[in-house]
Amino acid sequence: MAALEARALTKLYHGRRGTVRALDQVDLDIPKGELFAFLGRNGAGKTTFIKVAATLLLPTSGEVRLFGEDVVAHPEAVRPLIALVPQEGRPFFHMTPREHVYEYLRVRGASAESAGARTSEVITAMGLTPFENEPSYRLSGGVQQRTLVAMILATEAPFLFLDEPTLGMDPFGRRQVWEVIRRAVRKGSTVLLTTHYLDEAEQLAQELAVIDSGKVLYRGAPEALKSTVKREVRLQFSGGFTAKELAEYGQVIQDRNRLVLLTMRSRVRELTDRALERGGEVTVGPVTLEEAFLELVGRGIEEEQ
Amino acid sequence: MSVRQQAYAALRICYFNGIMPLWRSPLLIGAVFLTPFSFLFFLYVIAPRALFPFGVVGGVLFTALFTGNGMLNDAAYLRLERQLQQVFVASPVRPLAFLIGMALSELAFALPAMVLFLGILLWVHPFSALGLAALVGVVLLTWLMACTLGFFVSTLFQQLREIWPIGTLIFSSLSVLPPVFYPATAIPAPYQWVAFLAPSTFAAQLADRVVGLGGGITTSVPAFNGPLFDLLGLAALTLLLASAATYFSRWRES
Ligand SMILES: Nc1ncnc2c1ncn2[C@@H]1O[C@H](COP(=O)(O)OP(=O)(O)OP(=O)(O)O)[C@@H](O)[C@H]1O
Ligand SMILES: [Mg+2]
Repeated sequence: MAALEARALTKLYHGRRGTVRALDQVDLDIPKGELFAFLGRNGAGKTTFIKVAATLLLPTSGEVRLFGEDVVAHPEAVRPLIALVPQEGRPFFHMTPREHVYEYLRVRGASAESAGARTSEVITAMGLTPFENEPSYRLSGGVQQRTLVAMILATEAPFLFLDEPTLGMDPFGRRQVWEVIRRAVRKGSTVLLTTHYLDEAEQLAQELAVIDSGKVLYRGAPEALKSTVKREVRLQFSGGFTAKELAEYGQVIQDRNRLVLLTMRSRVRELTDRALERGGEVTVGPVTLEEAFLELVGRGIEEEQ
Repeated sequence: MSVRQQAYAALRICYFNGIMPLWRSPLLIGAVFLTPFSFLFFLYVIAPRALFPFGVVGGVLFTALFTGNGMLNDAAYLRLERQLQQVFVASPVRPLAFLIGMALSELAFALPAMVLFLGILLWVHPFSALGLAALVGVVLLTWLMACTLGFFVSTLFQQLREIWPIGTLIFSSLSVLPPVFYPATAIPAPYQWVAFLAPSTFAAQLADRVVGLGGGITTSVPAFNGPLFDLLGLAALTLLLASAATYFSRWRES
């Protein structure tokens, strides 16, 4: 049995400017004990999916089951099994990180002893020790976000929904959060997270789904998604070439003052030599998830137009 | 979670959402106290002394009614600005436990002011212990009614800014306009029944009666002219609003 099963899940929002199809006949299974990531442009439908699955929003049609329990018909059976970091949530302004974690665990029914132990553990693991006794209104945005994530991860709930958990965190903070997420998975939790950091998805996720306009465009391992890009290497140029010149060698992505070219291994020597001759700079590397994502979603955008 | 654990969750929410902020910024007590105290002072200066105890009872009830305004704003704030209600919905905590925890937090805020007004009342108009117990009962019913009303109304909005004026509108028209600070008998007799349109009238009349002040509305229907009718009215309204709050509280948006 999968931890989460969605069948033909559809959500329409009716607004003044017509109807938005936020989820469109989504079928998705997330295996138990897996770390699963949602990728997708802004407005793709990631948060909508999470809200429906976390019993916060009613779908228009279709079905979601969590550990076999129907989310729509029996939310009270699902809720003890879940915990959620909402997108752009904020902690209570008067409470400290330690109080957040401890009080939330107590409210969820943990004993004083177990709540105390888990609080200390999470506070340390998330690097919150220097701030643990500061009220949250005095904490920076990233530390507030870490407080919220600590509070949810400490529950060790069987299913964890993390909607952009590392938003606004510095690279150290993100890595600490990753470690605590991985530990939750090792302890048996299933995690569904959304992120706009593709390196994060690549580092963390065992599987991912790319959502666009409420549909699942791709679902599988990050490695497999990368191999959908039909080029072997990624060249990044600062100067030396124009986008037009590079176009005949492969796919060009304009990235501010840099040009990224996805091409075949056999063209690398020629291109790097010429770039250096012309006084440009070039780096050579493997194709990343970002390129695969841009190509996959970009194709969708072209079809729309 | 068992019923006992749910009750514990409600108390715990009251502790960190009500008592903790109060403890950390005691000025909040003054804020709760100031408005009803100003009305009372006003009455003291301009009204005949015999009416003053009505005003003090009014102060107690005003404070109880305005817990609803606190609830309206706090519930909206936690749901819309902090996204924290969502954190409690997606948890084993039952909606009712969350609701009660929030309402108890509002009571914690109001309690110091209520006790002060009760003290003043016992000083200017001594009454029996039984009357005091009955008055506490009325205050608790009023608090429940106000909080469920506040929560219910907050669920109807998706924008914090839309809510700000609504609370003042609703709770001022419940506590200042109807006979809360003054006896209903001060309204010209043919129009007294109009006061029954405000749920707070039931609470205020009942409170005035249980402390021995009297002064309720007289209508041509004898059954409407006693404390029993007031009690039934208040209890029925509270029940209605509490069911509406739990039912419509939109634990799930649609
Ligand atoms: N309450 C709402 N009313 C109307 N439309 C909404 C509502 N919430 C979301 N939408 C629309 O539904 C679509 C999906 O939104 P959703 O928040 O799920 O996107 P997302 O993938 O989480 O985006 P982001 O990466 O920006 O968080 C968007 O077009 C959005 O405008
Ligand atoms: Mg989102």
